[in-house]
Amino acid sequence: MSPPRILITGSGAVCSAGKSPAEIFSAVRAGRSSIAPIKQWDVAEWPAQMAGEVADFNPREMVDDRKLHKLIRRTDLFGLYAAGKAIEDAGLTSYRDTLAGDAAATFSDQTGVYVGSGSGNYQNQYDYFPLLTAAKGSLPEFGRELANTVNPMWLLRSLPNNVLGHIGIKYGLKGSNACITHHSCSGSLAVIEGMEALRNGEAERVVCVGHDAPIEPQMVLYYYRLGLLATETLRPFDVARDGSVFGEGAGALVLEQESSAAARNATVLGEVLGGGYASEATGLVAIRDDGDGLARAIAAALDSARIRAADVGMIVAHGNGTRPSDASEAAAIRAVFGSDPPPVTAFKWSFGHLIAAAGLLEATVALAALADGVVPGVATLRELDPDCAGLPATSDSQAPRSKIALILCRGFGGTDAALLVRAA
Amino acid sequence: MAASRRVAITGLGLVTPVGNDVATTWDAVLHGRSGGAQISLFDASGFPVHIAAEVKGFDERDLTGDKRLLKFANRSHRFALAASEQALRDAGIRPAETDPTRWGCAVGAGMMGVDFADLVSTHDHAAADGELHAERLLTDDAANDPLAFCRSNCAAGLSLIARRHGILGYATSVHTACASGGQALGTAMKLIRRGTADYALAGGFDSMISPVGIAGFCLLSALSPDNETPQRASRPFDATRNGFLLGEGAGFVVLEEWQAARRRGAHIYAELAGDGNSLSSYRITDSPPDGDGPIQSMRQALASAGALPADIDYLNAHGTSTGMNDRSESAAVRAVFGPHVAHLSVSSTKSTMGHLIAAAGAVEVAICALAIRDGIMPINANLRDVDPDCDLNFVRDEPRRQRVRMTMSNSFGFGGSNSCVVLRHPDEVTL
Repeated sequence: MSPPRILITGSGAVCSAGKSPAEIFSAVRAGRSSIAPIKQWDVAEWPAQMAGEVADFNPREMVDDRKLHKLIRRTDLFGLYAAGKAIEDAGLTSYRDTLAGDAAATFSDQTGVYVGSGSGNYQNQYDYFPLLTAAKGSLPEFGRELANTVNPMWLLRSLPNNVLGHIGIKYGLKGSNACITHHSCSGSLAVIEGMEALRNGEAERVVCVGHDAPIEPQMVLYYYRLGLLATETLRPFDVARDGSVFGEGAGALVLEQESSAAARNATVLGEVLGGGYASEATGLVAIRDDGDGLARAIAAALDSARIRAADVGMIVAHGNGTRPSDASEAAAIRAVFGSDPPPVTAFKWSFGHLIAAAGLLEATVALAALADGVVPGVATLRELDPDCAGLPATSDSQAPRSKIALILCRGFGGTDAALLVRAA
Repeated sequence: MAASRRVAITGLGLVTPVGNDVATTWDAVLHGRSGGAQISLFDASGFPVHIAAEVKGFDERDLTGDKRLLKFANRSHRFALAASEQALRDAGIRPAETDPTRWGCAVGAGMMGVDFADLVSTHDHAAADGELHAERLLTDDAANDPLAFCRSNCAAGLSLIARRHGILGYATSVHTACASGGQALGTAMKLIRRGTADYALAGGFDSMISPVGIAGFCLLSALSPDNETPQRASRPFDATRNGFLLGEGAGFVVLEEWQAARRRGAHIYAELAGDGNSLSSYRITDSPPDGDGPIQSMRQALASAGALPADIDYLNAHGTSTGMNDRSESAAVRAVFGPHVAHLSVSSTKSTMGHLIAAAGAVEVAICALAIRDGIMPINANLRDVDPDCDLNFVRDEPRRQRVRMTMSNSFGFGGSNSCVVLRHPDEVTL
């Protein structure tokens, strides 16, 4: 039996490559990278200096309400921006405005919010540095001076679920919800849980958002020490690749049951066909060489969508540019697709790795690529690593085999997520 | 058909301020022996609030089962390793003995943060004048220590648990503040119902009893300032309540597809029968006075369980002991239960354990499972003078003995997420 159709009726995105899925896709398609030396602090002495920062970052452009800026962080601004664009794109609130009181209330109760969040950051805790200085090593003094030194709203600014709560308040959405704080798979998991909520009738429509802002000094340093960051640029599947590069931003999709979209006469961008997820239980950073978890996640996604591997028209690989991840990802793709996989691309070379936002943002870009009928090339790929043999990835654009894209995500904890979307 | 799959609770594990295992915790909770005391983990004497409910006498080397993992684990992760190990032992089944790819895991994890000692060391080296000098981070010990990173990453707790127990299926970590633990259990229930997994380890863990954690709550005036009477500080629904008592700990359950659990002759505590999940969308920290939001989550949970209000015998309330929550929750309970509210026994076990934040929902669902098993409901401690706005049928003074057919557990979080989890007595399950 086929699962009920889950339609995509709105999308929004922001990252260093642009402020909409179309803008980001056109940068990727043109082979443009927005990865550059970090500007948020002086990186002259830093061993890793590159990232995909949102240029000319303007908090007011992200969220107009200035009062809110004191209560949330940079990552939340991105999430609220992308979610707002997706809600606007889908016309959710403008449709609700046409409904009578009770029907409008039911509409709100039946609209869920699923968020993939980067959780906390290090910088936020630096708000305690002035207090630590004032306390001169004395904890009782730290306690006494607390209220005079630290913003009373400090804890609220730190909440990992701020985007969830503030989308709810701003747009009056009250349905089922989740805030997933599971590193790079968070955004993909938000789509999977949102899709399942619709399949199971827990909501009639859901807003799915992934957001993150990992570009801060202490985070960059840790990833560098773990051997995960590139010195210059991100070259997925290339023989000379030497690591990943952070990006920042958010992606959002509005998903609906068929009946909900039909009642609103909504424009359909595509559908979410299925999703799968698996863990390798290898600890925080280690992964298996054979891509076992990713292969199982892809198989679970195909099963969830009730389609065959041969139906997939293009693969948006995780392609984070680290040696073990790309090689084992190629192994997983070979394991599932055999000797004839569909065209493979990856997007992170253009705008970096958005960690918790990666899967969701890349899904919005994949939909734009399918709509345009093109698999954009991997511009920084010069020579395919023999370890990644059999992967049809190139620096040139290719033609997708169908309207279906498989989007892969891999995160800490040896976790792997696979999403299947079809463009209208 | 996946939709008809039922979910059995077959194992419990608890590390709480009133006991480092299920039996000790249950006995203390039943009789309302408070875990509140002066904070001993650090010198809190200068803080506006210097009381909390700490986990006591926790021997992590003994309890977590795999000493090699301790260097990757912060305090809350250690609680999680211990409680999850207890739950698996109790269930008598492990991923390695079955198909580990059919095991899921869902956890409610606390807010990300670095250990306070690491924050101080970074301050002293890179921000001695109060401002961060980023270039000084390059030579800071904590900022270059991969283990400090492992302990502070948001995926750390889940990855330790998956590795420790060899869980290879769907694994997720959620955070909706105080609703996290309940939402994790609801997520795990759905994994089994929809066929993504046949087994799941689900729970919550948290520890915010640190200078930064206590500071954050003090700044919001969320904690009871009753420093002289820590055991009386948490008094949900009492007219004199004035904030919550911060607790810490972990709670885990083992879930199995019902028929498979029956076939292997497992002891079934209860059916994890329903989950409800809504957003208040009111204010980030405030609860709507009319109970809007919690009302929807409770109704959804009843519907998800195929139950009516009259079927519920016991409500383990969110009951934080703040003025606003307890009033709002009481209004929601009255709205949902209508005339049946008089027959619904209610208590908040936060009166005893304090508020375990991201772990609270998971621990309190475990308490509900024990109430069903033993036919006895724990008291709402410290309830002397019931707030007239909270006129529910509270279990006071003595635990109440009565067959418990179904229970409900509420958890509402900062940010407006509401979770409600419903359990059913195994003998009430008709297939």
